[in-house]
Amino acid sequence: MKKQHISSYFISLFSFLLLGVSLHAQNDSIISTVNDSLKIKLKYGLRIGGDVGKLIRSFTDDNYTGFEVNADYRIKKALYIAGELGIEEKTTINDYLDVTTSGTYLKAGVDYNMYKNWLDMDNMIYSGFRVGAAAFSQNLNSLTVYNTDQYWAPQYSSAESQKFNDLTAVWVELIIGIKVEIFNNLYLGLNAQLKGLVAETIPTNFANIYIPGFNKTYDSSKIGAGYGYSISYLIPLYKKDKN
Amino acid sequence: MKHYKILALFFGIITIFSMGCEPDDICPESTPTTPNLIIRFYDILNQDSKKNVFNLKVQGLGNDNPLTDYNVVTTDSIVLPLKTDANTTQYSLHKEYSNVDGVIDGNEDIITINYSTEQVYVSRACGYKTIFKNVTLTINNDGDNWIQSKESINDNQSVEDEKAAHFKLFH
Repeated sequence: MKKQHISSYFISLFSFLLLGVSLHAQNDSIISTVNDSLKIKLKYGLRIGGDVGKLIRSFTDDNYTGFEVNADYRIKKALYIAGELGIEEKTTINDYLDVTTSGTYLKAGVDYNMYKNWLDMDNMIYSGFRVGAAAFSQNLNSLTVYNTDQYWAPQYSSAESQKFNDLTAVWVELIIGIKVEIFNNLYLGLNAQLKGLVAETIPTNFANIYIPGFNKTYDSSKIGAGYGYSISYLIPLYKKDKN
Repeated sequence: MKHYKILALFFGIITIFSMGCEPDDICPESTPTTPNLIIRFYDILNQDSKKNVFNLKVQGLGNDNPLTDYNVVTTDSIVLPLKTDANTTQYSLHKEYSNVDGVIDGNEDIITINYSTEQVYVSRACGYKTIFKNVTLTINNDGDNWIQSKESINDNQSVEDEKAAHFKLFH
C-alpha cells in the first residue's frame, strides 16, 4: 500500500513536470523573465514521533512495557540532529533468575541521509550515531541456585525480592534505517541499532541483565542490539532551495 | 541502484543480531558453579601418603540412591555434593561393602558436614552458585569407626571451588 502511494505520488509529480515542460515549449517565443517556478525547495523543521514497535510490544508481551519518543531536526541537506527519550520495564526470566528492570534512557546524536531524493521528495535511508545513557533499577524477584550435581534436588531457591537501585549505564550506538514520507509531513521509519556498552554501574553480587535503551546484555561481550519502528510528524519551520 | 546495497546490509545486520543471541543463554560446563566437597583418604600410620578405601559405597542420609560415582568402588578420594537448601549434609561411607543375598557386610561410618551458605552471582546464564563457609566435618561415633581421624586443609575451612581437597580422612 505504501509503495503504491509512493508510485502514484511519483506519477503525479512526473506528469506535473511534463506539463510544465510542454507549457514552457509553447512559450519559447516569449522571452522568459520569470524564474523557474519549479525550483525545488526542501522542508526544514522538527520531526517528532513515537516508537510503534515498543507500544505494540507493551500490549502483546506480558514481560514488557515501554515507550519511546523520538525527534530529529534538519540542520543541513542530509544531516539531522536526532535523539530519543524512552521508558522501559522488562522482566527477564530464565531457569535460575527472575529479574525486573525498569528505568529511563536518553539518546542523542546525528543521522546522515545517504539517499538522493528525487525532486522535493523527503525520504531517508540513513545511518546514524548515538550516545545513550540510562538510569534504572533492577529487582531480583527470585533465584534458584545453579548446581551441575543434582544429587540433592531441588537446589536452594529464594523468592525474597532484592532491589538494586541507582544503576546507570552509558553506551554508543550505530544506527541504520529508513524513513518514508507516507502522507504530507507524516513519516514511517524502521531502524536497527548496534550498541557497545562503555560504562555501567555493576550491582553488588549481581549484574545488569537488561538496560533500558540498551536492551539485553550478554555475558561474553559488551555488544547490544535493538530495532525500532516509528511514526513521526514533521513540523515544517522553513524551506530552503535544494541546491 | 545504490540503496539496494544499503538495504541488503541493513537486513544482513538484523539477521546477524538474531542469530548471535542464543549461546549466551546456556550455562557453559567450563564455568565453575556450586562446588562439591572434596575428601581425600590418607594412611593413619603414614600420614603423608594416600590410602585407598576398598569397595566403598557412599550414600547421602535421607537420599534413596547411592552416589552414582561411588557405588562400591575402590578410591582414595571422594567428591560429595552438599545440600544448598540446608546447613547440614550427612553421608554414609560404607567400607568393604558387600551384599550377599541381603546380608550386608562391611563397616559403615556416618559423617556430618555442617556449614553456612552464601549465594554468589556467576552470570546471566548460570545465575547464582552457592558457596559454603565455616565448614566442619564430624565423624559420628559408632564404637567401631574405620575412619580414625580427620583434618581440614585450612583452619577456617570453606568450600568455594573444586581446585583442591578440603578435608583429609585418616584410616
